[in-house]
Amino acid sequence: MSVSAARRAQGRSHGAERTLTSVVGVLAVLAGAAALVVGVGWLGQFRGHRPVLDPIAVDWLGDHALYARIGALVLGVLLLVLGLWWFFRSLRPERRPDLRLDETSGAELTVTASALSDAVQADAESIDGVTRARTRSVGTVAEPALRITLWLAEGTDVRRVWSDLDTFVLTRARDSLGVDTLPTAVRLELDTAGSARVH
Amino acid sequence: MRVVVRLLSTLLALAVAAGGALLALEVGWAWWQPDKAPLLVPWPRWKTELAAVDWSSTPVRIAAGIVAVAGIVLVLLALSAKDRAVRMADPADGITVSASPRALARLVGVAVRAQDNVRGASVTASARRVRVRATSRLENEEQLRPRLLETVDGVLDDLPLQRRPKVSVVVDSPKDRR
Repeated sequence: MSVSAARRAQGRSHGAERTLTSVVGVLAVLAGAAALVVGVGWLGQFRGHRPVLDPIAVDWLGDHALYARIGALVLGVLLLVLGLWWFFRSLRPERRPDLRLDETSGAELTVTASALSDAVQADAESIDGVTRARTRSVGTVAEPALRITLWLAEGTDVRRVWSDLDTFVLTRARDSLGVDTLPTAVRLELDTAGSARVH
Repeated sequence: MRVVVRLLSTLLALAVAAGGALLALEVGWAWWQPDKAPLLVPWPRWKTELAAVDWSSTPVRIAAGIVAVAGIVLVLLALSAKDRAVRMADPADGITVSASPRALARLVGVAVRAQDNVRGASVTASARRVRVRATSRLENEEQLRPRLLETVDGVLDDLPLQRRPKVSVVVDSPKDRR
């Protein structure tokens, strides 16, 4: 479980946005292609020269007016609900959950998201070769995780930083918070500031 | 790309919601007050206009082409918005590490440029592939390429990468043009 939480913490999820955008794209491609196919006459010349709003279809709808109206109303409401859900989901900022260490009533102990990230950030920046660090809490209140972005100085031994992270920074964070697991995603960047480009 | 997709996705969501609302509103209104004019959408006019054009007319074909191309663009954008981070091995349980492709490219680039007789180098990197294009005046491709391949391999060996990218090196040298 903790592995997947750490993996999820790697970056903000774009799955729903990507899927829905692709679905709209695929529908548009299919609709456009279908209209072109009909227009070119691959479904018969007769079909291609019928009006776009075909009287046959209009008559059929007129014969089934009740069902057509109910269907259109339901479809409209469904699209409205789907669109609103999708809209607020796309706009929702990524959560920064606090860490709840103790939930016994009267003795609650909560580490706020900013306190947690400040503490880990200071530790991470003290690793040799790390010029900057940015830390934030991600995930849900039930399953909080950390995301750490480290900027390394040029010429840093990445493998050493990679192993120092757990032994030094995260072990300390877990010890001081008194938790067994703290799912963490680390993103490494190379710092460009202060380094001369070799040509 | 990810920001673009998030923005597009928000706009599409608004469009879907607005379309659904208008559809329900107009159908409901026309059902309740069949003799009155439509509320917001002049659909009776659209109806007569659509009844006048046939599928093979130019405007319909152009509109269909635009819709299809827009759909292809949407799909391509959505596909390109995937996470490009280069995964590294987990140093411990519950910790994942990744590097940005740019960081990997810079690591490789620094090592390649530090080699003798390399005048310049451009590197692009992803989780699957590292491409190096180096220029040299003093050595031709045959002499320099094996050395650069070794250098890049050395850099990749030092990184705890989860999967090793394929390496391709191209040397651009005036000596080869003679």
